[in-house]
Amino acid sequence: MQADPNPMKRKRKPIKSKNPKKKKTTTKPSGAMAAVAEAKRRKPSKRMLKLFKKRAQNYHSDSDDDDEEEVVEEGRRGEATPSDGNDEDGSADSERGGGSEGDDEGDGEGGHRGGITRFDEGCRAFRVAFSKIMKRKLPNDALGPMLSAHKKLVVEKLVEEEAEHKAKGEAKKEKILQALEKGHVKLANFLDAKEKSLIKIATKGVVRLFNEVSKAQISQRGLNPSRTKVAKELAKQRKRTFSPELKKSSTQGHGDHLPFNSSKLSNSVEKENDDELGWAPLRDSYMLTSSKLKDWDKMPDPAASVGQDVFPMESSSSDEE
Amino acid sequence: MARFKHNARRNKKWGSAKPPVLKKQPPSVDHVTGSKIPKSFVFARGKLPGPLKQLELDLRKMMLPYTALKLKEKKRNTLKDFLNVAGPMGVTHFLILSNPKSVPHLRVARTPQGPTLTFEIHEYALAADIARSQSRPRCPQDLFKNSPLIVLSGFGAGGQHLKHLELMTIMFQNIFPTIDINTVKLASCQRIVLLNYNSEEKLIDFRHYSVRLQPVGVSRRIRKLVQNHQVPDLRNLQDVSDFVTKAGYGSESEPDEEAATVSLASDLDRVNRASTKSAVRLQEIGPRMSLRLVKIEEGLCSGGVIFTEFGKGDGEANTAEGEED
Repeated sequence: MQADPNPMKRKRKPIKSKNPKKKKTTTKPSGAMAAVAEAKRRKPSKRMLKLFKKRAQNYHSDSDDDDEEEVVEEGRRGEATPSDGNDEDGSADSERGGGSEGDDEGDGEGGHRGGITRFDEGCRAFRVAFSKIMKRKLPNDALGPMLSAHKKLVVEKLVEEEAEHKAKGEAKKEKILQALEKGHVKLANFLDAKEKSLIKIATKGVVRLFNEVSKAQISQRGLNPSRTKVAKELAKQRKRTFSPELKKSSTQGHGDHLPFNSSKLSNSVEKENDDELGWAPLRDSYMLTSSKLKDWDKMPDPAASVGQDVFPMESSSSDEE
Repeated sequence: MARFKHNARRNKKWGSAKPPVLKKQPPSVDHVTGSKIPKSFVFARGKLPGPLKQLELDLRKMMLPYTALKLKEKKRNTLKDFLNVAGPMGVTHFLILSNPKSVPHLRVARTPQGPTLTFEIHEYALAADIARSQSRPRCPQDLFKNSPLIVLSGFGAGGQHLKHLELMTIMFQNIFPTIDINTVKLASCQRIVLLNYNSEEKLIDFRHYSVRLQPVGVSRRIRKLVQNHQVPDLRNLQDVSDFVTKAGYGSESEPDEEAATVSLASDLDRVNRASTKSAVRLQEIGPRMSLRLVKIEEGLCSGGVIFTEFGKGDGEANTAEGEED
């Protein structure tokens, strides 16, 4: 029960909502369309046809406006003016055409005039169109104001301009790219002579480093398992003599073709001096030159030069004891 | 008892407390040498075009691990902002890229008020270009776990003791952390940065290599077999002994064996064993640059100009203030 009225309403509503435009659009031309339809339906009578022929012969476009107007008004009574030009040119004309529907056709004079007014209407239409064109400001186009192929030519010109712009844009882009890529070298030959020489130099450096490392670490391995305390002493000594060694080797390094982490080298050089003495127990002077056991043969004069060597040995011997 | 159960249930529901996870801080002091580890920021000033941005990223990668890889800089950041951040984080060096008048420049500066070296990048090639031009680009995963070693060459050439060369040497040596020969593991030395000074053109060639060790004295086929675990093709051979003893031809890229041989201190991997001879092979990774020194300033991008290449002087350094790092 409730459903029935509602769907009815619903049915109507969407219909209404869909069609208002259609209805609106159809209202205006309906009059004109109806008029046209009516005009088409009722063929001009034979009398009218004769009249038309006469008028066509007598047609003169320079006829006065007054005549036209008078004629027009009468013609309005006569018949609808279904000329196609009217509908296009102006709403005024179409309205007139619409307004003249339902007029009697029996009026001879009116009919007569109506025929002429057709042409006058046509003239009027032409006049209106012409004035509109004259009013319209012409674009200063190289192609000319009113050519039939205007549109085509416009399209062609636009295409040309676009092509030009594209070319210019690309040229600009290339310039900018060149500026961006300044200095950026795209590698053509990867391994040429210069690169090979550079790699050789780097390899030499690496080899030198690795050799030093291996020397230091292998000898250290020999020492370390049994001589942890010796290692500590060595570390202490290293730190003490670090700075003079650094100065010495840095000046040395500059004369050298390959100064390479000179501080590290100083380290290794230092260590090597020590290592050359070898493992403490293997030295001949092991346990013989401690302060406690004085070696009466040796004089204390060279003590200064031997001081550095003696010191670790003393400590090691004291450890042994 | 009920209470006990209740408690037990509560604990189970909530789960055990996780121990707080400590984020491992990157070390600021090297535990071996006792010296401060130098850290760096690589950033750009001004707008950089595409390839230069890539170059900045490559430089950052090269300075790993002691640099901020994903450093985000904004347009409105000034040098002061970077300085303020650098202090608490222990950053010691700045590498600044800029592009004034479409000429790329690189400035190497020591914070907080150290000298600034300004280089003009004459030519550069990106890491991507180099990888593209190689037939077998190589980049193992932990290549960037350790900092690179630096090799300087040609800076003391000709016996000249030019102050600006000295300053450059010291500066570059200090950018990368020092290594202690006695304790360094050879496996951790995987990258090399080479700076070669060409005194005729006054250009510095900058290259970045990765180190590879190859056992020497082993024929190529056997070496490949061991390394790649690929079963060789024995179709045309009668006997395995043919495979083992066949003399292979040496390729063009085979290194100059004598100069490159080292005797290893320890086992590096399955193939390179201690006290056997191995050859050092370098492969280029990373950016390639040619730099020309333009200017040395006393302060951090400010201060008096100690040396200038194109200045009124004749290119010789004035008596340097002895800016030791």
